[in-house]
Amino acid sequence: MLGWEFPPLFSGGLGIATYGMVKAMSKRAKIRLVIPNSVPSNDLEDVSIQGLNKITLEEINLERLAYSLPALGADVSRIPITLSPYHFANQKISKSTINEFELLQANKGEVSDVHSIFQGEDAYANILQKIHLYTHLAAQLAADGDFDIIHAHDWVTYPGGVKIKAQSGKPLVLHVHALETDRSGEACRNGIYQLEKEAMDVADKIITVSEYTRQQVVQHYHIDPAKVGVVHNGIDPAPTIRKEHKLKDKLVVFLGRLTHQKGPEFLIETAEKVLRVYPRVKFIVAGTGDLFVHTLETSAYKNLGGKFIFAGFLSKAKVNELLSMADVYFMPSVSEPFGLSALEAVQFRVPGVISKQSGAAEVIKHTLQADFWDTDKYANYIHALLKYSALKTVLADNAQCELRGLTWEHATDKVLRIYDDVINN
Amino acid sequence: MPSVCLYFQVHQPFRLKPYDCFKIGYDRLYEDVDRNREILDRVSAKCYLPANETLLHLIQEQQGEFKIAYSISGTAIEQMEKYRPDVLKSFQELAKTGCVEFLSETYYHSLSFLYSKEEFIRQVVKHKEKIKEHFGQSPQVFRNTELIYNNEVASFAGDMGYTAILCEGLDSVLGYRSPNFVYHPPHNSAIRCLLKNYKLSDDIAFRFSNKDWSEWPLTASKFAHWVHRTAGNGETINLFMDYETFGEHQWPETGIFEFLKHLPREIRKHPDFNFLTPSEVVGKYDVKGEYDVHHLSSWADIDRDLSAWLGNSLQHDAMQRIYSLENQIKATGDEEIINEWARLLTSDHFYYMCTKYWSDGDVHKYFSHYDSPYDAYINYMNVVTDLESVVEEAVISQ
Repeated sequence: MLGWEFPPLFSGGLGIATYGMVKAMSKRAKIRLVIPNSVPSNDLEDVSIQGLNKITLEEINLERLAYSLPALGADVSRIPITLSPYHFANQKISKSTINEFELLQANKGEVSDVHSIFQGEDAYANILQKIHLYTHLAAQLAADGDFDIIHAHDWVTYPGGVKIKAQSGKPLVLHVHALETDRSGEACRNGIYQLEKEAMDVADKIITVSEYTRQQVVQHYHIDPAKVGVVHNGIDPAPTIRKEHKLKDKLVVFLGRLTHQKGPEFLIETAEKVLRVYPRVKFIVAGTGDLFVHTLETSAYKNLGGKFIFAGFLSKAKVNELLSMADVYFMPSVSEPFGLSALEAVQFRVPGVISKQSGAAEVIKHTLQADFWDTDKYANYIHALLKYSALKTVLADNAQCELRGLTWEHATDKVLRIYDDVINN
Repeated sequence: MPSVCLYFQVHQPFRLKPYDCFKIGYDRLYEDVDRNREILDRVSAKCYLPANETLLHLIQEQQGEFKIAYSISGTAIEQMEKYRPDVLKSFQELAKTGCVEFLSETYYHSLSFLYSKEEFIRQVVKHKEKIKEHFGQSPQVFRNTELIYNNEVASFAGDMGYTAILCEGLDSVLGYRSPNFVYHPPHNSAIRCLLKNYKLSDDIAFRFSNKDWSEWPLTASKFAHWVHRTAGNGETINLFMDYETFGEHQWPETGIFEFLKHLPREIRKHPDFNFLTPSEVVGKYDVKGEYDVHHLSSWADIDRDLSAWLGNSLQHDAMQRIYSLENQIKATGDEEIINEWARLLTSDHFYYMCTKYWSDGDVHKYFSHYDSPYDAYINYMNVVTDLESVVEEAVISQ
């Protein structure tokens, strides 16, 4: 399995999802996991993302403990490259430890290649070269061919998956947590799209995290629908305690990267409308991204500054604290393959107002849903949740019931069935 | 000599238009005029007009031996007055035959009995006046909204002077006994209970077109045969159902109108059987026993309780909120405001908020024009919020 680093410092939902899946699957299948590695202190060096400096090394280590690799039960190899599927994060990739790499892989790979890439000026411009290197090293790690299935999570690992399939002849399963068409628009046909499509054409089976994403794959990548299956992400049960806040204002929470895909412009538009009919509310924005500054400035320009709190990137513990106090969870995503944080909100009994264009909308029916651009409807829903308390309670109760079916065990059942199908064909 | 007693419910609510939070304080028109008109047109074409015509012919054909009963809600009559006076006229034609009895109910088809006896009485009186106005009858038989019933309801109706009240025939109360007899509630021997034979009624109303049903297809002669089998163990076979069974719930293609056309003749093939109105049944047959119902029952869903309107917190909250406004609303003395408030008491508004079977999709969904019970609740509460501000303004200006 080709996957992602934990804790999800840059990965977001993808890191959590892969971790959950591997943990559940390793009880029923033998997994060899290849993930990129980075040393935590290096994640912070040379990084100047707004809000990120609020996170301490201690917090990162604590999170790493929560997502511990030994607990996974899988056989893990690490490639010391800091790789992220998110464009923004790639722009600020930190240095890696060349020494550590040399120790690990002394007799494999071309060290000189590694040097030149890591010492390059523009880290992002080298992303495709980094993938090339990752692919090469992953293929070397898989050279013994001692496995039945190759399972690759998201675009950065796809070329690795394709190469390993070519060299081993074993079947390839792609796991789509996100698509370039989500990130950069439906009409986009850039290099990453091409990479995704080529892999999809070669793969034996494609798994998407929602029916919504499955439709995107069929429509925008022109893949045979019979080749694409849906396995909804699960969520680990977590102890959650509601903390009623003493603030005079109600709290509407937006959790996610501030990037076009997550709909921050619709957040602002909706907030404006809500404040016209319900002034005693604050909008908390937890996350950062390429649209962070733009969002901040727009809110100030519209004189909403006093009603918005930009918390920046928060650790899991802080996110949980926020959710325990939130009155409404708001997710106006333009295109959301799944939306794990909506489920986290449900765990904390926070009623959700979410975009119909999301995977979460299909698994949690007891949410208030609208098309991503329908800010009038969003505002009507948020107003209703803030004003009519019975609505909050009923939604929260019913949504929690729906979580029961969304376990990693359940997801594992489906994945293993898909493996069987693929192997037997 | 057993009788068949046919009763049909006719009801249309004043459905609310989409009313978001931005309308609060600005838009005083709550009714979705277009939708209500459209639905009335559709139901009139598929059900009211063809069914009325069929029944009128049957009454004439059977020369006074075919009798039926209706209860038409005040909100339905009002909509007919506004949008389809021709349909109202066709009911009046039926009234003129002398073979059709009109029953009494709450004008706004509400659950007011549970929340405000004062409002309940007001609505019943208002409904009586409407029935007198259009059909020239003074109803003697009462039926509460959706046959919501218990001993208290029966007693209260008895005290109001009604000779009989309709209710669901519950197995749990009847035990080994049959619903095909006249009963009376405990502690009140003045009023009589007519119990719905739910098995035979639902055979027509729900199972008629179900191809998976063992008895499909149901012909009039087969049904008459079942009715005839009750001879010796029944005096009145009470077939109570929604009038929309004929043409709306059971589409014409199912043969429901053919069934109806042949039914009187088939029933009367057995010389002992006849058709009577509820009043006639009560006049003819003696009480056979006591029908003791403590907990509120209804004819809705499999549960036959109040869960269709009061099954979740949203419904309770909305119901409680609207009734809490009663005193302020009536204090304004403004007929228009009182009417707007009363229309919000119609049971349908709460029915739309039912979450019982929502995920599965079923009967409730068919009747609801909302995407979800949450949408129904939110829309309703926004309207109520506006009504509250209307009342405040009225109070200030006084």
